[in-house]
Amino acid sequence: MRAIARTGLRVLVVGVAIGVMIVLPSYVSDFHSRDLAQAGVFFIAIVGLNIVTGYAGQVSLGHGALMAIGGYTSANLVAYHGVRDVWTIPLAGLLTGAIGLLVGLPALRLSGLYLALATFGLSVAMPSILKHFSGVTGGDLGLRLVEEAPEKITGLSGTVTIWGHTLTQNHFLYYLTWSIALVLFVAAWALLRSGTGRAFRAIRDSELAAESFGVNRALYKTLAFGISGFYAGIAGSLLVVSAEIVNPLSFTFLLSITLLVGTVVGGLGSLSGMIVGAFFLQYLPDLSDRVSSAPGVASVVYGAVIILVMILLPGGVGGALKRFSDPLTTRLYTRSQ
Amino acid sequence: MGTRSYIAAALLGALAIASGASAAGADTPGVTSKEILIGGTIPLTGPASAYASVAKGAAAYFKYVNAHGGVNKRKIKYVYRNDEYDPVKTFDRTRELVQQDHVFAIYNTLGTETNLAIRGYLNQVKVPQLFVASGASTWGRDYKKYPWTIGYQPSYVAEATIYGRYIARTAPKSRIGVLYQDDDYGKDLLAGLERGLGKKKGLIVSKQGYAVTDDNVKSQMARLKAKRANTLMVFATPKFAIQSYSTARQLGWRPKVYVNAVASAANIMTIATLSSSKRQTEGSISVVFLKDPTDPRWRRDKAVTLFRSILKKYNGGKGLNDVYNVYGMSSAFTMVDALKHAGKNPTRDSVMKAATHLNERNNPFVLPGIAVKTSPTKRFPLAQAKLERYHNGRWVYFGPLVGVR
Repeated sequence: MRAIARTGLRVLVVGVAIGVMIVLPSYVSDFHSRDLAQAGVFFIAIVGLNIVTGYAGQVSLGHGALMAIGGYTSANLVAYHGVRDVWTIPLAGLLTGAIGLLVGLPALRLSGLYLALATFGLSVAMPSILKHFSGVTGGDLGLRLVEEAPEKITGLSGTVTIWGHTLTQNHFLYYLTWSIALVLFVAAWALLRSGTGRAFRAIRDSELAAESFGVNRALYKTLAFGISGFYAGIAGSLLVVSAEIVNPLSFTFLLSITLLVGTVVGGLGSLSGMIVGAFFLQYLPDLSDRVSSAPGVASVVYGAVIILVMILLPGGVGGALKRFSDPLTTRLYTRSQ
Repeated sequence: MGTRSYIAAALLGALAIASGASAAGADTPGVTSKEILIGGTIPLTGPASAYASVAKGAAAYFKYVNAHGGVNKRKIKYVYRNDEYDPVKTFDRTRELVQQDHVFAIYNTLGTETNLAIRGYLNQVKVPQLFVASGASTWGRDYKKYPWTIGYQPSYVAEATIYGRYIARTAPKSRIGVLYQDDDYGKDLLAGLERGLGKKKGLIVSKQGYAVTDDNVKSQMARLKAKRANTLMVFATPKFAIQSYSTARQLGWRPKVYVNAVASAANIMTIATLSSSKRQTEGSISVVFLKDPTDPRWRRDKAVTLFRSILKKYNGGKGLNDVYNVYGMSSAFTMVDALKHAGKNPTRDSVMKAATHLNERNNPFVLPGIAVKTSPTKRFPLAQAKLERYHNGRWVYFGPLVGVR
């Protein structure tokens, strides 16, 4: 009974959340739905990062670089091969997933801080790598999709028509991003409840114990990176599809750190907390900017808020939610007796 | 290619139809009975933040115009956003200006790559991209494909043509070494130099490119010296221009230097002199088209006096010696001129028409005699300049106005 109450509550919360997300664009300006879509991109990326870091326990500071691979895959396919932008999204995810498997290889030998540093190295190197392969990436100048292949950009004229419904481009990007986000969220939820998810958690809690119970450490570690890479690739691709332009500055090491911040704020090991993490990443810089336009103030505010959140919510938002929802489900359980 | 030219044709067609029926003044975004809203992006922070004055000077001038009645009783509101000189941010901020703030036109956005990033979009949505703050010749040259875009300053090709002609005429036995930034901007200058030299193109003994991401230009400079060049063309942004002077000094090499206008501002030359020597910068040549506020020649000039009073009143007295502020005011003067000629109820079409029919002989911030002139097929508003020589720590211009398109 208790489990039913808990699941019921979850379904209710998710249902309300989905309802809110569907109507949200009607309550904000058209341009603002683009910002909300951007939050969806962050959401996908940090759900993916949470799989590898929060559940499988492998700290990654390389996810900005993985997003770069997804973003550039889309940009390249649109600009040089004339593929319609939305069709590049799954391809970008798959390719980045494959690269993610490779990135997982160092994780077999390294752990903790050493793995974080190794993946951080990838993030630092990524802009230079992108500049080096200028034939594929457009080098320093990057790729301008509007100039290269305007006819392949969905909604460049300002509106998109799907099954007779006409949407503005910004609304289209919003619904596209958040529909993909919902699918990936449910997929992550199902995955983490399955045997694979249990194997991830076992590795996180004790590699030795996991292995002695017959969990294939190498397989599950690389698998976690691969799945996480798929998410990062989709996020990077959506970022470029919406920006219609990409250059090496779009994916600096700061992005990798930002993603980890979002994951920790949302709560490592909590999927639903990621929604808060995503909005945190999207809106905190803007809000800090508004405090004062004096140089440096915004960064100080940004940093201070992160410190504050970590002091007040050591388990992130997800941790706090758990503390709050446990007694509630208990109450519901008691009442249903 | 086929599709692109189709789009260009469609845009042109739309422009033609729209300009035929420009009665819809009331629905023009950014224009109310009291205000005209324009916007652009500029690097307020980051490596190119010195250019921020280009926007600040213009903003101060608009405030001055507003205090004196505005344009056809409307005040001009100019918002500029920080793009940190990153084209991705330029596109993002520009989209916000168009979709969220509903600006009438994008104006005075600075940089070549930054403007290239937004040109396709602005032409797609038919928002004017006015008086681009970059000297790439594409703004004036590719109007058939991008009818909603127009540049402002003399093109890099034009500038280097002036150098080439001057060398061919006055020093036909030079051995020219070229240091250039390996991108659209540097290549424009290189092309202009060769055009100006004409038959004397063979005077160029070596061309050395550098990437913006390079740390220094030492190896390029050493190679130019090894080719026994006695004339050095510096087609570089300020950081690298300063380095070329100091490296030449370290190499014990004293060529005659031609330094491009984007790196020849008085304050940059002062740094170049301090990091090399007085003898190294003495005699350098560049071009000038604005009144340099540090030039004693303009001490009592009406426009420079006005320039100072505007900065004191509307910019907290900052940047009195900054030629980029003069640039901003000159550009703002032309913007006001275009708005005046765009009719009582300006539309995006009518302001484009005005911007391509400029005939300004009274812009006080440019050198006397320079006309800001355009036509639908000649879209280089500023196309004249004077040569100048660096002497005793100051630029002194000489010779007649030279006009090149």
